[in-house]
Amino acid sequence: MSEQHAAEQHPTPMLAQRVRALAELFVETDLLRLRIEREGEEIELGRRTLHPDVVPQIPHDLTAFETHAVRAEAIRADLVGIFHLSRPVPSEGDLLESDRELAFIEALGIRNPVRSRGPGRILSVKRVDGEPVEYGAVLFEIDRG
Amino acid sequence: MLIANRGEIALRINRACQELGVRTVAIFSQADRESLHVRLADEAFCVGPGPVARSYLNIPNIISTALITGCDAIHPGYGFLAENARFAQICADHGLTFIGPRPDVIAAMGDKATAKRVMREAGVATTPGTDILESVDDALHAADQIGYPVLLKATAGGGGKGMRAVESASDMERAFAGATAEAEASFKDGRVYMEKLILDPRHIEVQVLGDEFGNVVHLGERDCSVQKPSHQKLIEESPAPHLSDQARSVLLEMAVRACRHVRYNNAGTLEFLVSGDDVYFMEMNTRIQVEHPVTEMVYSVDLVKEQIRIAAGEPLGYAQQDLQLRGHAIECRINAEDPYNNFAPQAGTLSRVVFPGGPGVRVDTHVFSGAVVPPYYDSMIAKVVAFGASREAAIARMERALRETVVEGVSTTIGCCLEILATTPFREGRYDIGFLPRMLASGVH
Repeated sequence: MSEQHAAEQHPTPMLAQRVRALAELFVETDLLRLRIEREGEEIELGRRTLHPDVVPQIPHDLTAFETHAVRAEAIRADLVGIFHLSRPVPSEGDLLESDRELAFIEALGIRNPVRSRGPGRILSVKRVDGEPVEYGAVLFEIDRG
Repeated sequence: MLIANRGEIALRINRACQELGVRTVAIFSQADRESLHVRLADEAFCVGPGPVARSYLNIPNIISTALITGCDAIHPGYGFLAENARFAQICADHGLTFIGPRPDVIAAMGDKATAKRVMREAGVATTPGTDILESVDDALHAADQIGYPVLLKATAGGGGKGMRAVESASDMERAFAGATAEAEASFKDGRVYMEKLILDPRHIEVQVLGDEFGNVVHLGERDCSVQKPSHQKLIEESPAPHLSDQARSVLLEMAVRACRHVRYNNAGTLEFLVSGDDVYFMEMNTRIQVEHPVTEMVYSVDLVKEQIRIAAGEPLGYAQQDLQLRGHAIECRINAEDPYNNFAPQAGTLSRVVFPGGPGVRVDTHVFSGAVVPPYYDSMIAKVVAFGASREAAIARMERALRETVVEGVSTTIGCCLEILATTPFREGRYDIGFLPRMLASGVH
């Protein structure tokens, strides 16, 4: 494992501090999931159980937790037309092993593919099937991290 | 109606449509996202990034927008695709009404060498000149026939591009090379033709309207002789001052005759060079013009609404004798330019904008305090139009209006326009297209 990869897998002290502070706030709420994105980084906290008797324990040592730096990339429309999802229908959370067609934009009777441009994980699908889209409209967000 | 333009003319078209109860769709580039025409249209679609070729000239994205929004028609405004016959045909092919003349008329009149031939066939006097010149030798031979000085002009051109004045045979080779290269770079068509260079003429144009039923009317003339050294207009007025009844009669009669000859439909403008009582056809613009407000003010006609009505198949509904000219109107173009530095275009944020008002003052603009002037487009940011019962009243009103006008953040032509209005040649109405270049060259300002 390279030094860089090791650094990416284990939290730095500052990151651990931030996560801990967020976790303490999170347990005070009844949120199921909290995700914070900032400058290409993402911290996501989630509950595994809703049982009222289970009191979440916040570990002191966060080195056991893996961190995942999210590099979100927007896939945008490069023309004006009607957005259609391809088959199999891509969904949030889908893992993309390589470049694949996610959708197409129909314009002037021509089918214009929208591709993932590489591997990643679908963070969000921003448009619905049959929706008109303008130039530059965000269609998908892909996690390249 | 899809409005295939930007800036003040897009807003102008939107206003006419709103008053006619026509839903509007605006297109915009990413640089124009916050623009006023985008905010006031019923719907708006981004068609590309800032550069014109990828946005306002992006025919596939424009047509696609019109189709997916259920538009019936496209108004091209002026510039961009307004005189593109191919675009007009593409609109027709997709069942969209193009607000303008038929594609064959645009094709015939848009090519300037062809337009002059068509005008000669109609018996309209044209500037002595030639068809397309194939070589420098052709140009030299033609110039000997016509007599120096001559002017080389791009057949696909406008805005002063691809033009070279030639004083003598020794200048011809260099001028020919320069004109063809500039024409190729500006219009992707390097063909040039030649005209007699008429020294310091007046530029006087005639507004026309024609319907699908062969009816043609004129709405008088406009004097557009106050032009920058690049031949772009800066101040226009109607009616033209000190134009003899004979010259006026010839101009208006020629304009109507030419339109009937080509079965012209919709709005258009025929431009002439006038020297004394000699009148020569220069070119025709098959679209609404920037300076159309001065005609609207003196004839009380909404030209954009007329364009839409005509395109919808309605007859004009009035004859020439029903159109009465009243008063005098002047327009000053407020450009984001430095007039004392060769009118260098300015881009930036307009930190403060205040436009004038009061009786007889009209302002067509798309800018407001905080608006950004992008670097990609023409530098005009507003037109201030003043109407008065007489020319003197219109000048006084325009001076008052310009003094009230505040545009901070970029240099503008406001001060230059005030200077022009104060000069004796302008106040006496005795100026030609060389007037402004001479004024600037004299350094007196």
